[in-house]
Amino acid sequence: MNQNIYHNKTLQWLFYAAAFAVLGAVPLISDDAFLLNQLAIYGVYGMLAVSISLCWGSGGILNMGQGIAFGLGAYCMAMTMQMQTQAEGTIPPFMLNNGLDSLPQLWQPFQNTATGITLALVVPTAFYLIFGGIMFTARVSGPFFAIMTLATLSAFATIFVDLQPYTNGVNGISPPGSLNLGNLEIDPYSSGAYWSVFAMLVACTVAAKLINQSRFGLVVRALKDDPERVRFLGYNVAVYETLVYTLSGLIAAIAGCCFAVLTQYVSPAQFEVGFSISIVIWTALGGRNSLIWAMFGAFAVQGAQSYVGDQFLSTWILILGFSFILVVRFLPGGFAGLMETILGLLPNAKAKTATTNLEFRDAKEVAK
Amino acid sequence: MDFSSIAFANSLILGLSIASIFFVAALGLTIIYGTAGVINMAHGEFIMLGAYTVYALQTFVGIPYFLCIPAAFFVVGAIGFAIEKSLIRYLYDRPLDTLLATWGVSLVLIQGTRLIFGSDPKYVQIPSFLSTNVEAGGLSLGAFRIFIILMALGLAAAVWFIFYRTDFGIKVRAVTQNREMAASFGINAGQVYSFTFALGAGLAGVAGALFGALNIVLPTMGAGYVVEAFLTVVTGGGALMGSAISSFAIGELQSIFALITNSTFAQFLIFVVIIVFLRFRPQGLISASGKRR
Repeated sequence: MNQNIYHNKTLQWLFYAAAFAVLGAVPLISDDAFLLNQLAIYGVYGMLAVSISLCWGSGGILNMGQGIAFGLGAYCMAMTMQMQTQAEGTIPPFMLNNGLDSLPQLWQPFQNTATGITLALVVPTAFYLIFGGIMFTARVSGPFFAIMTLATLSAFATIFVDLQPYTNGVNGISPPGSLNLGNLEIDPYSSGAYWSVFAMLVACTVAAKLINQSRFGLVVRALKDDPERVRFLGYNVAVYETLVYTLSGLIAAIAGCCFAVLTQYVSPAQFEVGFSISIVIWTALGGRNSLIWAMFGAFAVQGAQSYVGDQFLSTWILILGFSFILVVRFLPGGFAGLMETILGLLPNAKAKTATTNLEFRDAKEVAK
Repeated sequence: MDFSSIAFANSLILGLSIASIFFVAALGLTIIYGTAGVINMAHGEFIMLGAYTVYALQTFVGIPYFLCIPAAFFVVGAIGFAIEKSLIRYLYDRPLDTLLATWGVSLVLIQGTRLIFGSDPKYVQIPSFLSTNVEAGGLSLGAFRIFIILMALGLAAAVWFIFYRTDFGIKVRAVTQNREMAASFGINAGQVYSFTFALGAGLAGVAGALFGALNIVLPTMGAGYVVEAFLTVVTGGGALMGSAISSFAIGELQSIFALITNSTFAQFLIFVVIIVFLRFRPQGLISASGKRR
């Protein structure tokens, strides 16, 4: 049955295992703190690409506002970290500058670390569940949904800038200390932080892969191709769309938490339209239909961006723009699609395809 | 009039000005989205190119401002035509991919402009009588904003004339309603799409010529207009009349909300109102093709 070894499940899992083994071994080779921190941030970008691949590649739901879950998660996490460094009864300095004299209601839950981290995951996920539910039951889909996510993202950016006393406006929140879990301090420049983010990345990718292979994933992929037919087969399309959108939001929220821990800084830049669309660009270049290739796309684009140097940055963005146009025009499957085509040309596959064609022709002649 | 009613009347007039800006920004997008269903993410950059065209013509050639406006139309229209011929025409049956490809185009246009003109702000000169303030009984508005309102009315009339009183307009509406049927009656649908796209891009160029004088000219200035322009078009449903009504409503509401709260929060409230509205009427106010997108 396996005409193309690209579609062989065992080989796919082996490929995942090999890729993650290489990524996990990085701290054993290098102990450069700055490099580890930067690579861990790439891991965060990889998670975002995986989340977009899950809802766009599998479900056909183009989400140009993934920054919503990412930003909300990052803000909640930064608020938790900020409160950890506050002595009992004091409030963050920027609130004093903005004329507040006691901790606002909004910040109260973040005094407790466990509650704060829980909220960092629950708030974005719940928002996606409600927003997705409203949109998908109204049968908003395709480019239309993409525009709605973009508009909502802009609304969030506006409100986070406007709520200066609570969010410190455009300056954002920069917690002075790193995250403490019980007695364990997570130093963002340590191999421990790298491995924690790496573990999250593996967990998210494997979970997304298992979802794709499940019965649920099959229905999701079916509704990408023809939602109307899936609906006539008796499935509640809106429920499936909302769930896959929410799951991708959860992954983005986890990425947001990791981001806040690693950079010790959040700002409305996390809600920027440009950032959310670059996640889509990574995914499209890597290959929207493949979780791991989407992740590689994030690594490749962000990695190249950091290493081309400042003087070439302008040319680099030009190259990125052109290659994005070319990929969309000629290679809709991204590099994963290219890989699929190349592997399909292997001799083993060729022979199989030839026989199938032959059988098909025979069948046609019989039909005549 | 007492003070609060003067403030209210002033905010209504300001709302009209905001509405005319939204309408001018959304006009080109309305035509492209309403006809071909293309979500053109590079629309903001077409606006930016219009502003740079005016800047370049004024600085290097010394053409007066009023002649720069039609020049911006033709320059940006030609760029739009070239982009349609080389990229967009291959993607009409892949709406999500058009959106992505045009985003790539916008990246290239922003960066290309930055390489040619640099990242520092540029300024567009306008005739001195347009930089005055017109006042009447406690109400006041800049002369240039009044000029934009007049331009919005003029452009709306021109587009209406093209669409409803010319042969080209009949072809465009036929292709919008049913592409295959129109093609079988001998209309070259591909060519109609190309010229419609060029027309929409040209109108964005005119918008840029106006906005360049209203604000400073920067390579990234387009991003500030594109989301609002999209919301205007989507709320309007893709028809010319729909965009006119929705930009009027959005402009006035934003101005009134800004009077009650502040301008940033007003923008947020507008987003919420639009999202709620589209939840109940996803096809927008007036749907151009009757087809649900």
